[in-house]
Amino acid sequence: MMILIGLVVTLLGFVIALFSLLLHSVGGQLVLVLVGLAVSLFGIMGVLNKHYLKNAIWKKG
Amino acid sequence: MKSARKLLPVLLVLLCCGTPGFPQAPAAPAAPAAAAKPITDADVSGAPVPSADARAKGDPDGSLTGTASDVTASDAKKGVSIGDVVNQVGQNKIAINFVWTLVTGFLVMFMQAGFAIVETGLCRAKNANHTMMMNFMVYGVGMLAYWLIGFTIQMGGVGAVANLGGTPPLNSEYAITLFGKSFGLWGQNGIFLVHHGTYDVGVMVLFLFQMVFMDTALTIVTGSAAERWKFAAFVISSFLMGAFTYPLFANWAWGGGWLANLGANFGLGKGYCDFAGSGVVHAVGGISALAVSMIIGPRIGKYTREGKPNAILAHDIVIVLTGCFILAFGWFGFNPGSTLGASGNGGLRIGSVAVNTMLAGMAGSFGAILYMWLRYGKPDASMSGNGLLAGLVAITAPSGFVNPVGSVIIGLIAGVLVCISVEFVDRVLKVDDPVGAISVHGANGLWGVLSIGLFADGKSNYGGSWNGVAGSVTGIFYGDNGGQLVAQLIGMATLVGFVFALSFVFNLLVDWFVGQRVAPKAELEGLDLPEMGVLGYPEFELKSEG
Repeated sequence: MMILIGLVVTLLGFVIALFSLLLHSVGGQLVLVLVGLAVSLFGIMGVLNKHYLKNAIWKKG
Repeated sequence: MKSARKLLPVLLVLLCCGTPGFPQAPAAPAAPAAAAKPITDADVSGAPVPSADARAKGDPDGSLTGTASDVTASDAKKGVSIGDVVNQVGQNKIAINFVWTLVTGFLVMFMQAGFAIVETGLCRAKNANHTMMMNFMVYGVGMLAYWLIGFTIQMGGVGAVANLGGTPPLNSEYAITLFGKSFGLWGQNGIFLVHHGTYDVGVMVLFLFQMVFMDTALTIVTGSAAERWKFAAFVISSFLMGAFTYPLFANWAWGGGWLANLGANFGLGKGYCDFAGSGVVHAVGGISALAVSMIIGPRIGKYTREGKPNAILAHDIVIVLTGCFILAFGWFGFNPGSTLGASGNGGLRIGSVAVNTMLAGMAGSFGAILYMWLRYGKPDASMSGNGLLAGLVAITAPSGFVNPVGSVIIGLIAGVLVCISVEFVDRVLKVDDPVGAISVHGANGLWGVLSIGLFADGKSNYGGSWNGVAGSVTGIFYGDNGGQLVAQLIGMATLVGFVFALSFVFNLLVDWFVGQRVAPKAELEGLDLPEMGVLGYPEFELKSEG
């Protein structure tokens, strides 16, 4: 389940960045793309990686 | 002394007036030139050629070889015409570009040897055969996937590549309409290199050059997953990457897809720019490496029970640094070759691209060595090598658009960034990456993509436009309004959001159906015997941690 959530969040960041194309101001686009990047990075590092670390091989002894 | 002082004014006057006795003194004015006479076929066919007798005596100084007699007449009865000469000029231009692109492609192919020994040297001796075999087989596996479908997806709709004579058969791009604009998603011509007229000399050159780039991306993953990757899983994962993951993003950036058209469709600079592939090749490879490494997990013994990382030392630093040199050599194919020609359309900028490449590599190794020296008191050999590679990775995208000062700054930042990123991946993410591929190629690939939006100096000129937008690629430090930076950031968001997710899903499927990781017993023993059947170094006594 966490894998699915992580993948959705990662892809959501890409979609947010894509929607920046609807804005007309370069400053607005810049902010929205950076938000999209941050969301994708959170999906990778904060959700997916965290899930794998919970069951990491070094915790199993 | 007095006589010398008297002579001085005379000498000064002579110097100011010129020295009439010198051989290069101005000649007397020439008579007005007669009106230029148009050249006719008769002039061309009557051009002097060396006699058969003269040629029979040999040509030690080369003055008799390569003359008008080497221009083939289309009509032997009429002799050489102006049309024949003009056609020969065109063919010479394309021949120069073919040879340039092929030879630089051969250099990039040789980078596989560099990757192979860098990765093998950074791993333990008990996995030498397995690591070498992954690097060896990724060449064939990737090529097969790319020939079957990958090239079609990437380049099947690229349209005319002028430097290679047009490549007209590559003219079918599948596109959807989004936000009122056309979004090219994948190419459709080129399956098996015979489909829709793609059995074409220009298409063949383009295939060879693009194929070796794709293989570079694939071999990045073998490093980060080394020492615990099941060989069968590696084969399937690499095939999927060569067939779909890499070509899809490469189409969007280089094959006429939607990222390249962000400039034409949305006014964002010249669209997403990536001269030689910091994003397309290195970030795709590095981000896929992150996905695989997360799924596959760290090597046994890499982390303590408390999660503290242990250093697992390289078994042969000599071949690691030799491999780095081979890679740096191959990079002269990677970046300058990406002009796809040396003649016409700004092809002479190959000199600038090559110098930018070597400068950034130098700055990268300096950045890494200084960082490690200051932080740990010693210049670390493997990180110096990674610094060199990081500088080269980072300059790959901007190499065609920046000046030497920009290159050095980009390379220096890359050298420091790779050290910080390796520590972050190792200690914070706790993702095991034996060779630092995620940091060298992923982090610095993204930095290279970003740097175009900052450092592109607006001086390059590749036929007057880039990605169909007139003018030169320019970053914010050279007067752009930020549109180019936004285009680059959208490319980065696509890499981090879409490419990662796609690669992750593919490798999750491989994990479910085949299993990505070898058994713990095989890992402790070393993968050479369990996976490959033969030790890499059969005469060595290997220590086991098991």
